Amino acid sequence: MRWLHAEWTKLRTLPSTWWLLGSTVLLTVAVGAAAASSLTTGVCPSPDACHEDTVKLSLTGVWLGQATCLVLGVLSMGSEYGTGTVRTTLSAMPQRRRLLAAKAAVLALLTAATGAVAITAALWTAHLVLPVESPTLRATAGSVLILTLVALLGLALATLLRDTAAAATLGLGLLYVVPLLADLLGSPVWQHRLNRWTPMPAALSIQATRDLDRLPIAPWPGLGVLAAYAAGLLVAGGVAFGLRDA
Amino acid sequence: MSDATIEVLDLRKRFGRTLAVDGLSFRVEPGTVTGFVGPNGAGKSTTMRALLGLDAPDEGAALIGGRPYHALRTPLLEVGALLDAAALHPARRGRDHLRWLAHSHGLPAGRVDEVLQQVGMETAARRRAGGYSLGMRQRLGLAAALLGDPPVLLLDEPVNGLDPEGIQWMRTLLRTLAAEGRAVLVSSHLMSELEDTADHLVVIGRGRLIADTAVSDLLAAASGDRVRLRTDARTQAMELLTAQGATVAVTGRDTLTVTGLQARRIVELLNAADVPFAEVGAHRATLEEAYMELTRDAVEFTASAGIDEVAS
Repeated sequence: MRWLHAEWTKLRTLPSTWWLLGSTVLLTVAVGAAAASSLTTGVCPSPDACHEDTVKLSLTGVWLGQATCLVLGVLSMGSEYGTGTVRTTLSAMPQRRRLLAAKAAVLALLTAATGAVAITAALWTAHLVLPVESPTLRATAGSVLILTLVALLGLALATLLRDTAAAATLGLGLLYVVPLLADLLGSPVWQHRLNRWTPMPAALSIQATRDLDRLPIAPWPGLGVLAAYAAGLLVAGGVAFGLRDA
Repeated sequence: MSDATIEVLDLRKRFGRTLAVDGLSFRVEPGTVTGFVGPNGAGKSTTMRALLGLDAPDEGAALIGGRPYHALRTPLLEVGALLDAAALHPARRGRDHLRWLAHSHGLPAGRVDEVLQQVGMETAARRRAGGYSLGMRQRLGLAAALLGDPPVLLLDEPVNGLDPEGIQWMRTLLRTLAAEGRAVLVSSHLMSELEDTADHLVVIGRGRLIADTAVSDLLAAASGDRVRLRTDARTQAMELLTAQGATVAVTGRDTLTVTGLQARRIVELLNAADVPFAEVGAHRATLEEAYMELTRDAVEFTASAGIDEVAS
């Protein structure tokens, strides 16, 4: 409990934490609103008539909002290595795996809370411009989980690489560049595989509320792919953290 | 409270091809300030990192109160450490840095204010650490080390960056902490910084122990039986004393250092030969001299230091 308190104090006393969380909410809402307003009722008189997944559309902002969550996760460990405070941290809390667990728990709770605010605000804003169908719990809770898991992915990468810039680059590459490469691939088989097994396209399938049979991967297994990446890298990070000299 | 000792037992640590610490053993007792001295690269910081469980020893052990660091349940209450004063997040306020440390051990907020007052950082601690001078960082680092009121203190180069007033303050504080019964290990690459502060010295070079000695013994040994003589008739005195079997070295415009003759005998000889002199006294070596003598063979960077001097 004390370690959670310490890590919480550490995270909340950095202005960058609040800037990043504020940006997450702002980006999620703004991009969602823009996407929703791109669909006019002139073209689409009622949601049922045009087969548009309006819930998914309102939650488009998660695609961008996850970037700031990733950076928050990366910074929570990367800045410790960058500034050398990791040695002070370890002299106060020497059991390393327990420390990483405390860090992960605080980060997850904070991003989940922010994610809940961002998703609620995004749905509500989209509702102002578009008659959005009532969202499913799966799509909303799933979107919050995406933001949370991406933050944990960032924490894991920074723990493994011990460098903010390297971890942020790799993380953003994994989220944005790999799906882009998938689109460039000529082979539809490989395109399908990448969309199924890379964290971002797979996880975003949790937002779908209709035409589920056309998704590359079903919603919950899709989110599971992201969760597996985050968990796998966290375990690897924890093992490396425990073995290496600080 | 466990017994306040620091023990390093046959510690060995290798980084790649460099053997940073090579079979080092020493012990720091409660109630003393022990200076941990050696040239840059001698293995001081590695030893301190091993004591704090940051680097795992390849062989041997580094123990606090008989236990390895990671076995301590509440480490801040048992060891206070200042390793790298620069290690602060520039965007975090000084006070918040101490607050998260306090929270990790459930210490009350009042304790943060107490240590800030002790190091004279009450006002500066409200500012973000990015704007701190090296001296302020040292003070904040020391406040962090004192937070848990620990019986053991490990301080790596604590006077680095302090102004003369700050150095004086640090010396007094270290003496006070030791007088309260704490074991204080202070590393430095400048022996003069430890003059009047350390009771005991652990001198290392190239990762090995060179000396583990009381400061008073070291000074006595280095001073030897040398006598300092001040005279205007330098040449005359030199001839006379050399003829009596003494070794005479010129150490200044009108000063000589004489080895091999007692002060009383020198006075007799000079009076008998009617050689004028102003002062005869036992030569008292400085800690710096004693240290130079000890480490002459162990200095790793002599050559490069020489190049620096030529360049500047």
